[in-house]
Amino acid sequence: MPGKTDKEACLFSEANVRKIETDYEDWHKNRLREEDRQLDGKYFTPSGIPVKLIYSPADIKDIRYSEDVGFSGQPPFVRGVYPNMYRGRLFTVRQLAGLGAPEDCNQRVKYLLKHGATGINILFDLPTIRGYDSDDPEAEGNVGYCGAAVDSIDDMDTFFADIDLGSISTSIVTHLPSTSLVIPGMYFGVAEKRGTPLQKLAGTCQNDFIMETCVGSAPEILPPPVSFKMQCDVIEWIVKHAPRWNPVSYNGYNLREAGTDAVTEVGVAIANAIATAEELINRGLKIDDFAPRMSFFWDLHNDFFEEIAKCRASRKVWYKLMTERFGARNENSMRMRFHVQTAGVTLTATEPLNNIVRSGIQGLAAVLGGCQSLHIDSYDEAYSAPTEEAALVSIRTQQIIQQETGVVNTVDPLAGSYYVESLTEEMTHRIFQFIQKIEDMGGLVTAVENGWLHREISKYNHTHQKQIETGERKVVGVNYMKAESEAACPIEVFEYPETYSRQKARLEKLRKTRNKEKVKSCLEELRAKCHSGDNLFPYCLEAVKNHATLGEIEEAFREEFGLWSFPLMG
Amino acid sequence: MAKLGLDIHWRGVLLVSQFLKDAGMEVIYIGNKFPEQIVEAAIEEDADVVGVSTLSGNHLTLGPKVVELLKAQGMETVKVFMGGVIPPNHIPILKGKGIHEVFGPDTPMQTIIDGIKTAILGTDPPTG
Repeated sequence: MPGKTDKEACLFSEANVRKIETDYEDWHKNRLREEDRQLDGKYFTPSGIPVKLIYSPADIKDIRYSEDVGFSGQPPFVRGVYPNMYRGRLFTVRQLAGLGAPEDCNQRVKYLLKHGATGINILFDLPTIRGYDSDDPEAEGNVGYCGAAVDSIDDMDTFFADIDLGSISTSIVTHLPSTSLVIPGMYFGVAEKRGTPLQKLAGTCQNDFIMETCVGSAPEILPPPVSFKMQCDVIEWIVKHAPRWNPVSYNGYNLREAGTDAVTEVGVAIANAIATAEELINRGLKIDDFAPRMSFFWDLHNDFFEEIAKCRASRKVWYKLMTERFGARNENSMRMRFHVQTAGVTLTATEPLNNIVRSGIQGLAAVLGGCQSLHIDSYDEAYSAPTEEAALVSIRTQQIIQQETGVVNTVDPLAGSYYVESLTEEMTHRIFQFIQKIEDMGGLVTAVENGWLHREISKYNHTHQKQIETGERKVVGVNYMKAESEAACPIEVFEYPETYSRQKARLEKLRKTRNKEKVKSCLEELRAKCHSGDNLFPYCLEAVKNHATLGEIEEAFREEFGLWSFPLMG
Repeated sequence: MAKLGLDIHWRGVLLVSQFLKDAGMEVIYIGNKFPEQIVEAAIEEDADVVGVSTLSGNHLTLGPKVVELLKAQGMETVKVFMGGVIPPNHIPILKGKGIHEVFGPDTPMQTIIDGIKTAILGTDPPTG
């Protein structure tokens, strides 16, 4: 490690560290009982990092403050991406909205904005996520559940009726690169129609090929290299035309939810960013043209300190990669900005009110970890997408953290904790190791194509579930202090059963009234471009503006590129 | 075992499949399928039970359809189990339409294993 010999720069003098080490030995031998000592080496974080009984300066003796930690808003950005952090701008309260038909969502968005949400996070139903129109036979049973149904640019217009697109920040949760070629285009098209220039639009689309091929994948999806190429198309086009828009949110979240530890979550997301950067540089872009707009999405789980260390470490890894490997010069390229959602998988259907506490603690960790925006899960999410009442509790939890706890008044308050700094160092080291492992395998696209990542997820889940079954891992109310009555909860499930018929009628009308010839020629051109290597975004945008539907465009992709099943299924 | 319709959440269904295998059952996971395809597969594989998983709200539309189609094929002895995120007030509706048992989040694997064994051996389904 560079600078190991540079003892002058370390936090504690060599003499002090020696004294502390001697004191520790003495304490360990004389103060602890034999049964305490026998527990040495038996505690681990969920990522497998050993946890000691107690930490001291000796555990962080090699840390050089200025180089390894520093101040906020300056390299290596461990303590936060902006100098004044939450005093300058509080983290964005960005709750998910999306259920039913576009007009229902419009109501929910207005409700959230009225109650103090500062950003919108729009979620789609599965047919939209997977690129099927509401009236497609494949969509049966899923229209308007778990998210909004959006089939065409007209639906997007309805979704954002009476809302000024130039004054809000919208996260469009298009998981897949193939739909990220289409749905943000609908948003851009609506803005253009209303006279809001693309340069003014703030927001994010997810656009992560791991979502398409590993996480949200069922058998039969676009092949990984195609999905990866589309991911890069979206980024390339958007950084050139909508400079305030984040064209990618590397989604560690859903990978973690599918089943991985914190190191894999961050490692895969960053490996994906590296692969993207290399591809875009090959296309002639410079790192500073696009890296400032790359954003990340983390899942904050139950292990409080490990999760905080993960946030801090991920910023450091990113800084080092951007500077040492890619030669970035713009500091914005070096700042890792991330959105956090609390961990849906930790929510229980048993005693759902307990979930308010789980999510609150995870949300607090996110803020102590320096997130830029936050979604706190609602307590009813083990039953359905959140009801209005539960969504309000989530917003209120965020506001309590912001306004009542005082944690936002000072930057990175856990810095200097022997434990947190030591974990941050170890996490940084393990993330780098993981990235190296992926690269040794031939890169992330290969690790996906050959099923390695799917197998890792599967193995993790099996082990994790066994630990719950045996009681080694405790879940309150489920396998620990088990709830007496399973009779659940006063949860009323949100339903919009009429969404299907409304969307179906809309699509029928749309197909009658739009310029059929124009739609046909747009789709034909898009199909041709699928084989030319061109960036597909402008062709999708043109089709969308001419009222081609999401399903029609995605069908073109499915036919032109063919479908792939992930190798786990055999 | 199948994922119902377009639902993307494959974690649970693969996990349950693996635990059933560990418990000595022969398990065939057919991926995302619609009721017609599920029943076709059940015939082809001569299944004793069918497990469908969904976390995306299509359980009421597509779940009972599997039961109906099995019946139409004269396979009413094949019990249909469902797992996933199912609102509690939907469980009686599903059972009324012939779904044998619904396993929600937090269900211990042993409960699922026992439930299936009991169903195959022809005794009463477990209660509670």
